Amino acid sequence: MAWELATYPAGLMGELPALDGVEVDVVRGGEAVRLTHVLDAVEPRVRPDGRAAFPTTGPAGEGRTNRLDGVVVLSCLDFPAEERPLHEQESVVDLAGPGADLTPFAQATNVVLTFRARGGLGNEELEAWARATTLRVAEDLARPTLEAEPTEVEHFERGPADADLPSVAALVQLSDLGPLYYQYLYGVPVGQAGLPRAIDPGELLDGAVTCGEYHWAGLRNSTILFQRNALVRTLYREHGRRLRFAGIVLMRGYEQTAEDKQRAATAAAQAAVGLGADGAIVTTDAGGNSHTDVMLTVRACEEAGVRTTTIVAEMADPGSTSPGLTDWVPEADSIVSAGNAEELVSAWTPERVIGGDTLLDGSDARDAGPIPARNYLGATNQMGQHWLRAVAW
Amino acid sequence: MRAVHYLNQFFAGLGGEEAAETQPTRLDGAVGPGRGLAAALEGVDIVATLACGDDYFAEHEEKALEVLLGLLEAERPDVLVAGPAFGSGRYGYACARFSRIATERLGIPALAAMHEENPGVGATDGKVLVVPTAVNVAGMRDALPRMAALAGALASGRELGPPEEEGYLPRGFRRNRLDEQTGAERAVDLLLAKLAGDTRSEVASGFDRVDPPAPVADLSQALVALVTEAGCVPQGNPDRLPTIRAQGWLRYSLAGEATLRSGEYESVHGGFDVTLANEDPNRLVPLDTVRALESEGRLGRIHDAFYTTTGNGTPVAASTRFGREIAAELTESGVHAVLLSGT
Repeated sequence: MAWELATYPAGLMGELPALDGVEVDVVRGGEAVRLTHVLDAVEPRVRPDGRAAFPTTGPAGEGRTNRLDGVVVLSCLDFPAEERPLHEQESVVDLAGPGADLTPFAQATNVVLTFRARGGLGNEELEAWARATTLRVAEDLARPTLEAEPTEVEHFERGPADADLPSVAALVQLSDLGPLYYQYLYGVPVGQAGLPRAIDPGELLDGAVTCGEYHWAGLRNSTILFQRNALVRTLYREHGRRLRFAGIVLMRGYEQTAEDKQRAATAAAQAAVGLGADGAIVTTDAGGNSHTDVMLTVRACEEAGVRTTTIVAEMADPGSTSPGLTDWVPEADSIVSAGNAEELVSAWTPERVIGGDTLLDGSDARDAGPIPARNYLGATNQMGQHWLRAVAW
Repeated sequence: MRAVHYLNQFFAGLGGEEAAETQPTRLDGAVGPGRGLAAALEGVDIVATLACGDDYFAEHEEKALEVLLGLLEAERPDVLVAGPAFGSGRYGYACARFSRIATERLGIPALAAMHEENPGVGATDGKVLVVPTAVNVAGMRDALPRMAALAGALASGRELGPPEEEGYLPRGFRRNRLDEQTGAERAVDLLLAKLAGDTRSEVASGFDRVDPPAPVADLSQALVALVTEAGCVPQGNPDRLPTIRAQGWLRYSLAGEATLRSGEYESVHGGFDVTLANEDPNRLVPLDTVRALESEGRLGRIHDAFYTTTGNGTPVAASTRFGREIAAELTESGVHAVLLSGT
């Protein structure tokens, strides 16, 4: 399939919406601002042909999509405290200070939507409201581009490539650990989307996958990390040069039984074989249990003759020399480190906090002391989006 | 600043193998290779040399360490430098042990120099900096300036840079750095290299593999304990078990309990959705089922306490300690088998 992504300057951003129960702030990188309780980050996109920027009926990755350059819509929501089953997963974005170096948010104009809990709505209803609203605002903000000229148009198509080049697939893991912990494919929780499943790489870049997964923030694959996916972009760029881009297989993280995990791993490997892949890059979403899914997939691929490199965040106690991986198989002999999620980022005092003044662990967001990398949204992204890595010390 | 240098009997000039039983000894100032080291040190003086025979250390380690620590403490040094031991296993081990104990007990920063495959490297357990050297004494001239540079850094207390810049072996710690390339670009490079026959990894791993023990011969005669990492605690979490990165484990009585009732027990585990677990805590600690097996005679008896912790972001070293401590108590209580429920 062929798809075009047209870039427009941030200055074209549409008017900020007035939404009931939502505070809207615009903050720019470099301001002494800390965002807390961050759910998702989305790049404003709109389609000139009138189809949805985040389609629920498909298909994405065809025709043209417009994007606003350097604008990010961020959603913040403090779930009603006692109801939230997983309560350690604070999610922070700092627009200045040491945490600002970890991700590109501090280079962007950030439109922050702070959703206020409403009486009578439970966690899942609030989340559905916040997620739908955030995607809609992201689409509305990009609407003025429809009347303007782009500054750049990128073409995404896998043209003919030398058959002697190695064929490389991306196996992209998407979490499904139940409500508040699943990703969506065309609006459907991935556990119900028939994974593992091959999709066109353009679909992934064009809003087919959206985030509803609020596990560890550092290890979270936010919507913008699919839209701007560095791995898919790198594979497109190298297609015909150093490799042939075989395609993408989406697979589920957090299969719930040992048998399901093995079955899913074998099926993902078979899908890679079906794409004709000589090698595959296996990515991870969230952590712990999902690392076992990744390791079993690595093993299944290697047994099926598909060589693998995998990307994982380490979870090593900074003060000890014990291993930092949750799971590992001997076949995982080529691993990219996405950084040690447990390492502390130095304390920093923001002048302003948006999203909620008290972190989920009860500390004051202005005076929280050092915060682990795992609490910084996207810092240790396991699709290889960013730059953090752990090195031997 | 003050340094103390540790040598074995040979390098201290006390004799060869025939002197390997030499007891810990103090010598004034720099001796043997210490003279070259002293020449390379800037702003640091070697105030004393401590020496010990390799055999004596190996055969009387506790006693040797005790004497050496006393001699060391009296010098009030800013840094301890041991070796270089090159490829000598006994000497390397002594350097590693003495340096490590000096650091742990007296807080004196220490470095030990030896070949990277010297078994002494493993005895440092990341607590002591190891300067890599050649395998034999031909590497002395190369080793001393590097030891001196690092000793100066340690004595001054400045924060050390990465191993390759400062010239020590990685200790097993992991530190975050910002790379020039994204993880995605590095993954493509690593995969293409692997496909071309050059397999590399940014994460050198290696994992404990625990072999399953033999089956219990006769469960109907066995005393069985329930152990979990699911964060199952009495309602309200009276002992404040952490939801993540637990520092210990807890024990709760099951005497007279037939089941774990909802509202009386809960999970505080921060790594999974506990809703279903809290609807029926037996899903975490299956007391109801094992009580039934007990009354049917299929299990001998259920141990009258269950053990619990939170297995979430727990370092391997901490988990290993929990396991040892719990196993010791269970063994003491005559428990034959454990039903270990994980999440």
